[in-house]
This record gives sequence, structure tokens and C-alpha cells, in this order.
Amino acid sequence: MNIDDATAAANDRLADRDDMIVCVNVDKFYGDFQALKGVTATIKEGEVAVVCGPSGSGKSTWIRCINRLEVHQGGDIVVDGIELTNDLRNIEKIRSEVGMVFQQFNLFPHLTVLDNITLAPIWVRKKPRAEAESMARALLERVGIPEQAEKFPGQLSGGQQQRVAIARSLAMEPRVMLFDEPTSALDPEMIKEVLDVMKELARSGITMMVVTHEMGFAREVADRIMFMEGGEIVEVGTPEHFFTNPTEDRTKLFLSQIL
Amino acid sequence: MQEEDPISVALKQEEDAAPNEAPRLSVLQWLRSNLFSNWANAILTLLGALAAFLMLRGVLNFVFSENREWVAVRTNLRALMTLSYPESQYVRVWVALGFVVGLAGLSAGIWSDWGGLPIRRLATWFMGIGGLIALCVVVREPSVLMDSEGKALSTLEGSLQRESFGAAMADRVDWWIAALVLFTVGAVLWSRYSSVQRRHVELPITSIVYVGIGIAILTLWVVPYGHYAFVDGTYIAESGTTVAFSTQMPWTVMWVLLGLGFLVGRFLRSSQYVGMSKTGSNLLWLICPFALFWVVLRDPALDYGHVMSTDLPMGLAFGLLGAGALWLLTRSDIGEAGRIAATLLLIFAIFNWVAAFFGWYPMLQKARISFLLLAFAALLAPNFIGDIAKRRQLVLGWVGVMALVHYLATMINTPSTVDLQSDEFLGGLGLTLFVAVIVVVLSFPLGVLLALGRTSKFPIFRMLSTSYIEIIRGVPLISVLIFFSVMVPLFLPDGMELAELAAVLTGYTLFSAAYLAENVRGGLQSITKGQYEAADAIGLTSAQRTGFIVLPQALTVSIPQLVGQVISSFKETSLLAIIGLFDFLRVANSVIPAQSEFMGVKREGILVVAMIYFFFNFIISKYSQRLERRVGLGER
Ligand SMILES: Nc1ncnc2c1ncn2[C@@H]1O[C@H](COP(=O)(O)OP(=O)(O)OP(=O)(O)O)[C@@H](O)[C@H]1O
Ligand SMILES: [Mg+2]
Repeated sequence: MNIDDATAAANDRLADRDDMIVCVNVDKFYGDFQALKGVTATIKEGEVAVVCGPSGSGKSTWIRCINRLEVHQGGDIVVDGIELTNDLRNIEKIRSEVGMVFQQFNLFPHLTVLDNITLAPIWVRKKPRAEAESMARALLERVGIPEQAEKFPGQLSGGQQQRVAIARSLAMEPRVMLFDEPTSALDPEMIKEVLDVMKELARSGITMMVVTHEMGFAREVADRIMFMEGGEIVEVGTPEHFFTNPTEDRTKLFLSQIL
Repeated sequence: MQEEDPISVALKQEEDAAPNEAPRLSVLQWLRSNLFSNWANAILTLLGALAAFLMLRGVLNFVFSENREWVAVRTNLRALMTLSYPESQYVRVWVALGFVVGLAGLSAGIWSDWGGLPIRRLATWFMGIGGLIALCVVVREPSVLMDSEGKALSTLEGSLQRESFGAAMADRVDWWIAALVLFTVGAVLWSRYSSVQRRHVELPITSIVYVGIGIAILTLWVVPYGHYAFVDGTYIAESGTTVAFSTQMPWTVMWVLLGLGFLVGRFLRSSQYVGMSKTGSNLLWLICPFALFWVVLRDPALDYGHVMSTDLPMGLAFGLLGAGALWLLTRSDIGEAGRIAATLLLIFAIFNWVAAFFGWYPMLQKARISFLLLAFAALLAPNFIGDIAKRRQLVLGWVGVMALVHYLATMINTPSTVDLQSDEFLGGLGLTLFVAVIVVVLSFPLGVLLALGRTSKFPIFRMLSTSYIEIIRGVPLISVLIFFSVMVPLFLPDGMELAELAAVLTGYTLFSAAYLAENVRGGLQSITKGQYEAADAIGLTSAQRTGFIVLPQALTVSIPQLVGQVISSFKETSLLAIIGLFDFLRVANSVIPAQSEFMGVKREGILVVAMIYFFFNFIISKYSQRLERRVGLGER
């Protein structure tokens, strides 16, 4: 089986699944500057999509449009059948279905780890506190730091903080997880512990969209890799296709720099 | 080295801090390296010491001078505290104070782990105070000699004639004894607790404070302080009616209440009701200034006919109809209609106030307030949509608030039975504290709202808040107070009691809120964009984001500035004198010096007033440092 067949097979495998994220011709402007130029892509349920590309290519902008941290000006974004418009209720609905993990963790420094995780389940999902707490402890177990529940974020290492941030997103039981360079702010020895958690997540079947430069991770768990440059998606393919036989020159150049 | 547990680290720091504990040689070394390291330094040190000496001597000579009429302060203690509150009803003052004291004890018990103080540290304090007294006794100049008519004698050259140094020291033998006793007690404690096993022994700070207050109160029973009392405009000078005599019993009761409150608080802290009691004590603190002032101190003479015909039905109507409306507004199928209804209600509520200004249609003030509150409750209602329990919470909360508001409003509008001797029934420290507390309590939420408005993404809110803040900050407090003392009576029912005070409270609150808003805004700006995004990304509504994420962090950051604002609000209550209220400072500055017995005696009173201001502000500032350290934990 040659590589393009593999891509086709992967596309077939995903073809019968439901669409989770659909972007059609998404445009985004910062003033006169166009950060996204007609981005069109579909991410299927349970798919792990890795987005990579040079700095300033619009990766963060795109991923942040998907849960409306940025507002797009043109085109359509539909998440799990809900279209992102100015309607506040749609935005609330999408945000409670889409978890996001940031490069800078963005934990709430004045709340303990446990409170960080239970805040949204209690106030958005209206769960009883006891239930929320037991779920939070289970999630901390899952990301490997059950003993840190009572600490404040400032008392944890970067890798532990990022794992708490992942647990915080998972506490909302999202159907989609967005990651914007989750390991870029970490020291090398902590990157692995976060990537391990993300791999475990990927295997659990949740839909994931990951902006990252960790090509080892991409190769291992990604269903598809999307390469962006200048606000456009330049190339899409399976990891095999992407790393061994990229078609676009710009992709080749990028890979030669990063690998 | 043995392991560094927190206690031993703390102790080590204390040892560094207290020079008495270091060996003699190292004191000398410390002096040499810090104060006499070179010539310039040595000269500065000597000059500084000289200045300190002269200042101390000046203060002591002033305080103990034969010309000081401290009797003016002693006699007017009651005037300084409450001005002309009548003797016949004075028990009301004590009841109010007792409530505050008991509540303070309760809160101290519920809220804080006060920790302990090593006995050795206490011993150094004793020795230090003893030493300081001895120093003062030596430094103060010998007394001036008087002739038989009480005029100071001077020498031929014109300088004052003083007794000899030896005679002066002999005159001050009681001070020497006090210094010696304190120093000896300190030294004995010190040596008994300096062995390695015992040097860490601590006493709980609460017991030290409580016993200290107890001893101070005990002295009232032993020493007849305050030779006279100024009661209802006359001096009572017979034996047995000193200030100490008339206050020893009430103060003892206060002391017992403080202790009981603390014990109850401790009990609640360890029980399962700790959360509820914290909320409860906070609520009591919020309510008590209003309730104590208007109900306890004023003793309203209720007119039951009016209560039955107007006040009660109106309170019930607002409580029940409002509850019904809120019940409807929290139905899960209410949707947009709820928001529209709430907005209409808000517009109507605000319009009522405009109408009041132009006198278009009459409406009782409490109805205007109730409509405004109902509008706010309606705006909050979407947060309570859901199961029966949540809806019931809102409705019961509403009924509670209405009961309180209507009760207080009725009480405020009822004339007082207190037999007034001047326009305002309370003055002195009582009035100062009351205004300060109310202004802080009311301006705080307003200031936070203004700060949020100024940083809001809606231009209309931003514009309104910004212009409000800038206008107020561009105007001196006095002009705001004068403006409101002229304007506010327009909004009030004719002949309402305490119109002047209401004016002050409104104007001062609005003024202080603008400054608080700027402090809070400083805190808001320190919150990173990431915090907002994270809150959005986990699905919080913008109200939840503000309440749980943004404000807690912003307020924590701005604690020092907020406390600074609280302290300056407290101090600037002295401007109340300008619009005719008798605040604490005014009593010392113009009431006492106008009494025929103490014509022109001002300095003593003002010194005492300054010390009491300092005492309160010192406590506030210490407490804020404690608070900063405690909430700082989340920031590490
Ligand atoms: N708030 C903003 N205002 C103006 N321009 C912006 C803003 N945010 C991003 N941009 C611009 O949009 C472009 C895309 O930015 P984006 O952050 O999406 O890049 P990225 O691919 O995530 O880069 P990196 O790998 O460095 O994170 C960049 O040229 C950037 O300068
Ligand atoms: Mg980026």
C-alpha cells in the first residue's frame, strides 16, 4: 500500500463519521491585515487534527475562532451542528462543548487546583459540589497529579499546571478539545508528561485539534496534519504522507527547518 | 543544623529583631557597622539622637506641664464620645456598643487563627516599656516652681525657675515604681523562659489581648479616673460619680460579652455550621451600623396606627407581589421576555427618582427604593432559573431584603424619643465612626460597579462611569458635602429627621465611591487577558467571570490602595464640621473650649483626638497587612 493510498484510506475511515468542526471560507481581519484567508476544513468526530506552520501563519487565530475567542468576519464555522453567530446562546452552548488549553496555562491563581476544576461544572453545568469534586479528583488521577488537589497553581511546576488546565477543560465533559501550543511554554523535561496525557486523551476518542510543533506527537497520534501559511491551509494529509512525501514546496521548506 | 520548622524560623527572626537578645559584643558591632561606620554617619547618628531627645523632652514637658488642663478632657469624655446624648437613655449607647463588641468577639472566634506570642517576646516588651518609662522620667525637665497663686516663678534673668533634679526624681517616685515593676516582671519572665526547652513556650494572642483589656477595665474599679463627669450639661463632682465609677460596670459587661462572643465563635468554628455562621456574622456586620444607629440609639416612637395603615401593608405588598414577579421571572421558559421585563422595570424605577426631583407625582421614598431593588433582583433572576430550590432562594432572599428595608425605613421615618439637646442627637466619636462605617460599607459596592463600568466594553457604561469619576475627582470633598446638604433635602419628605446626616452620607458615599473605583480599576488592569479567555473558554457567563475570576483577583491586588482609601475616608469625616455636624474633632476644637470652665482649652483635647484617630487607623492598617499576607497565598 503506498502512501497516497494510506491517505485515501484514512479519509475513507473518517468519511462515515459525523462532522464535528466545519469551517467554510473563514476570513479574519485585524484592521487591514487579513490573518485568515478563506480557511476551509472539516474535522470529523473523534479525529485528532494537528495544525502546524510557521510563526504568524494564523494557527492561533484559527483555533481561537472556533470557540469564539476571536470573531471571524467572513465564512461559516459550525461546531457539532451549531453555527457560530452573534447569538449569545449559541456561543454559550459551543463553549460548554469545546474545551481549550492555552500555551500559558491560564489557571486561576486565586483558586486551589480543585476549585479551578470544579468552578465551571458547578456554575455552568449546575452540578452538586460533591459530585463535581469527586469528578475533579478522578480527573486529577487521570492526568497523574491526584495529590496536588489542595494546592494553588503558583505552587505547581509548569507541567503540572498544564495538566491541571487539561483537567479543568475535561471537567466540562467537552466533545472537542482545542490545544494551542500546549507545550511551548514548558521546559523540555516537562513536555513529555503533558504529551503523555494528550496521547491518552487522543486514544480515548475525543475530537482534538492541536496546534503544536511537536512532530513526534503528530506522527504518533494525529489522524491528519494541516499545514498553514499566510492565513491559508496549504496542505492536508496523514502523518505518513506529510513526513515522507509532502507535495507543496512550502511544506518541504518548513519540515526541513523543524525536523 | 536541625530542621527548619516554621516556628524555629520565626523565632530566629525575632531574635534578630530584638537587640536585647543578642550578646553584648554584637550590639556594639551592630552599632559600629550601622550607625558609626564613618564620620559622616556618626555625625548623622548623633544629630538624630539629639533630635529624638529634644522631641521626646518637648512632648513630655507638654503633656506633664502644670499648665495643661487635662481635667477638661477627663470631664468631657462623654461629650467626646457621644456629645449630648441624654443621660437618661445612655443605656442605649451601651447596648449598641455591647452588640458591636459581642459581634467582634464572635467574628474573632469564627474567622481567625490568631496564633501565639512567645513568652520571651512578651517579656522583652515588658522590659522595653519599663525602660521607656524610666527614660521618660529622666528626660522630662524638672517641674516649674509655682507661687502661692499658681503662677510660675521666674529667675531674675527671666527664665523659669525649676525645682532641683533630685527633687524632681523624688517627686516622680510613683513612675519609678511603675517602671521598676514592669522591668522586673519582664526580667523574671525572660530568665525563666530562656532555657532551651522553654524558650519556645507561647501564649495565645487572644488571651493576651483579652487579659490586657481585662486589666485595663479592672483599673476602673480601683482607680477613680476622671474626677468629674459632664452629664446633661452639668458637672457632677461629688465623690462616687467619677467617669470611672459610672463606666466601670458597663465596661465590665462589654468585657464579658467580648469573651462570650469569642467562645461562641470558637464553638461555631469547630461545628458543622461554620460556613453558615461566617455568612451570618458578615450579614450582622452589614446590618448593625444601620440598625444600631436608627433603631437602638434613636428609639423611634412608633405610631401604630400609621404602621398598620401604611407601613405594614406596603411592606407586605412589595414582599409578596415582588416574590410572585420573581417567581414568574425564574420560570425556565421565560426567555427574552424576562430580560425585557427587567429592563422596563429598571427604567421605571429610575424614572421614579427623576420624577421625585421634579416633584411630578408623590411616592414614598421606600417605594422608590423598593422598585429599584426589585429591578436589580429581576436583572439577577436569569441566574436563578432552574430547579425549585434555586428559585426559592431568590424569592426568600427578596422577602428578607424587603422585610429589612421596610423595617429600617419605617424606623428611620419615625421621630426619635430621645430627648435631644441639639439638632443632631449623636456627635463626637460615635458620629465619626458611624459616618465612616456607613460610607465605607455603601461606597464599596458602588465603587466596584463604577470600576467595572469604566472598564466595560459597552461605550455607554464606560462614558457614564468615566465622566462620573472624573467629575467627582475634580471637586473637593467639602464642596460635594455642601452641595448635597443643599440638594438632598429636595428628595426627602418634608421635615424628615436627620436630613443633614442623610445629605452627608449620600454625598460622602458618592465621593468616596469615585476614589474606590479608581483603586479597583488599577486592580482590574492587572488581570491578564488570559484570565478572561480561560473563563470564557470554560463557559462562564460574563457575570460569573467578573464575580469569580476578575474581581477577586483585582480586589486582592488593590488591597493596599483600598485600605488607604478607607483610612482617608475615616480621617476626612472631620470635614463634617463644615456643614454643621458635631464630629469628634469639632467637639475637641470648639465645644470644649467654649465651656465657661475650660475657656480656650484646646490643645489637650486635640492631642487626645489625634491619638484616638491614630489608634483606629493603626489597627486598620495592621489588619490589612495581615489580610494581604493571607490572601497572598493564592498568588505565589
Ligand atoms: N490581536 C491582534 N491584532 C493584530 N494582529 C494580530 C493579532 N493577533 C494576531 N495578529 C496577527 O495575525 C497573524 C496570525 O497570528 P497568530 O497568532 O494566529 O499566528 P500563529 O500561527 O499562532 O503564530 P505562532 O506560532 O507564533 O503562535 C500574525 O501576523 C499576527 O501578527
Ligand atoms: Mg500561536
